[in-house]
Amino acid sequence: MILARGITKTYRIGPVEINAVDSLDVSIAAGEFLSIVGPSGSGKTTLLHLIGLLDTPTSGSISIDGMEAGDLSAKELTRLRREKIGFVFQEFNLLPVLRARENVELPLRYLKVPAPERYHRAMEALEKVGLGERANNRPGQLSGGEQQRVAIARALVTNPVLVLADEPTGELDTYNTCKVIELMRDLNRETGQTFAIVTHDPMVADYTRRIITLRDGKIASDSAGPEVEMRCDDIR
Amino acid sequence: MFKYVLRNMWRRKARTFLTVFGIVVGIFALTVLGALSARLNQQVKGAETWFTSKISIVASGGGLFGGSDGYLELSKVDEIKAVPGAKSVVAGFGLPLSSEGGGFGSPELIVGADLAEAEDLLNLIDIAEGRILRDGDEGVVVLGSTLADKFEAGVGDGVELRGREFEVVGIYEPTLSAPDSFAFVSYEDTLDLFRAINPYFQVENIAATIDVIPEEGVDANELAARIDEAVDGVKVISPAEAEKQISQFSLIFNAILLGIGFIALVVGGLSIINTMIMSVSERTQEIGLKKAIGAETGSVLAEYLLESALIGFFGGLIGMLLGLLAVYLLNNATASSQVSVFTITTTVVVGPVAFATVLGTAAGLFPALRAARLKPIDALKED
Repeated sequence: MILARGITKTYRIGPVEINAVDSLDVSIAAGEFLSIVGPSGSGKTTLLHLIGLLDTPTSGSISIDGMEAGDLSAKELTRLRREKIGFVFQEFNLLPVLRARENVELPLRYLKVPAPERYHRAMEALEKVGLGERANNRPGQLSGGEQQRVAIARALVTNPVLVLADEPTGELDTYNTCKVIELMRDLNRETGQTFAIVTHDPMVADYTRRIITLRDGKIASDSAGPEVEMRCDDIR
Repeated sequence: MFKYVLRNMWRRKARTFLTVFGIVVGIFALTVLGALSARLNQQVKGAETWFTSKISIVASGGGLFGGSDGYLELSKVDEIKAVPGAKSVVAGFGLPLSSEGGGFGSPELIVGADLAEAEDLLNLIDIAEGRILRDGDEGVVVLGSTLADKFEAGVGDGVELRGREFEVVGIYEPTLSAPDSFAFVSYEDTLDLFRAINPYFQVENIAATIDVIPEEGVDANELAARIDEAVDGVKVISPAEAEKQISQFSLIFNAILLGIGFIALVVGGLSIINTMIMSVSERTQEIGLKKAIGAETGSVLAEYLLESALIGFFGGLIGMLLGLLAVYLLNNATASSQVSVFTITTTVVVGPVAFATVLGTAAGLFPALRAARLKPIDALKED
């Protein structure tokens, strides 16, 4: 589904040029449940942004479902993101002035889905992540774990083929980390949606089916994950 | 989106309020001055029908609104009559209604006209009640609408003008200009009053003004030029010149209004720009997030434009309402003296609000464009 060939992303910090991602090849098939790990500065987030079409590589090419991202205009990239990709970011995910349900409805708004349908789909997504009861709360009234689950609901509400999560559990305790990953894995199993999770937490990586390890912008290893069976309630 | 924008504004209550307040001050001033200017324009318009349908002749050196103490010999009337094209030539004499001098607004005058000639002149204003003066009238008066209100007089009532009793035979429709405060009497009556007040200044066969109504089909301005050429020692004020003098009056005022509008524009505009730049920079991450999940440039642009338009609109609305309140209170305060200083028209109500809204939108354009053009990746990375 995603095919990246020789992608490089160069940042210039003062006189120094840094290749955050360095001639990297990777392919992700539909229905995968994978994690991207590595020390900080290894290029995890940059890779995720490149795959998510938020950023364009300095060189190399990325295609999604056979479409070359480099051939598309900014407007077409926006449309592609809106229709095919769901994002969960590390920190800043929800608009503080909107209620949980309104946050989840936002991508549907951009897809011009009519209001009643928007409402039902948002409620459905919130119930899927176990937050049907909190639909009318503002982000400030939710815990960190709940906020992340709202963000996941928002990423899922458009039924994207690919969900990209950047440190979705970075701010969460072990129990909530487990619950969030469990939720993603269940959704992956039920709907066949593809999940790529950037994390520095080995426990999270151990739950996934494929682990891509980055080092200095290159792939250090790309192997099957242990896919440890989750028992979140035991952690508590 | 509307609700969302309102919530964002509410999130920074103090700042939103202060920015709105900046607009309020400017728009308040604009509304009050607008009402003042509307009243003035009304007066000018009313004055135009009175002053520009006739040719006014005064002693040389005088202007439309006086400025000369010179009087005209009545013999000038015959000289003017000799000029072809003059239908009626009306000798007139006027004196202030009150001995204390006027206050704000149009002066209250007793205006005397030679009734043998005055029919066309007196018909320039529509009569509301009773009749206009006619040849041979004595001791009777036709009141302008403001004076009729002031005396609380109707047709048949008696009013006292400078110590002498007159019977009201007619009342004019309001013209919203100078003639509303005129009491029209005969030329002879005015001269009698003048002599009674100034016992040492016995005058005869003089006129303060001579008004000329042209014959049908005769161009008033051309006739004025012919009179000017044929008659010596007079100043002829043609309708065109009268119009010029009147419009000069309102020009100055409109310039002041424009000045206030400009200040409101600069001050209000800058503060909106400032507020919007701050809003955009503190919400950079939000913009990035929205764009990441599929918001198009246009929708981000619209959102911020709506916010700044709303700041302008609310500022305009509040400023206009406060302005109307001030106008209402001031008009009430001066109502007892039959003077209204302000007029509220549709333009006075809608104009400032529309102006502020357009101003807000325009001021928001630059910050909104900045927001809309952010790349999602750069916006998200910002801390």
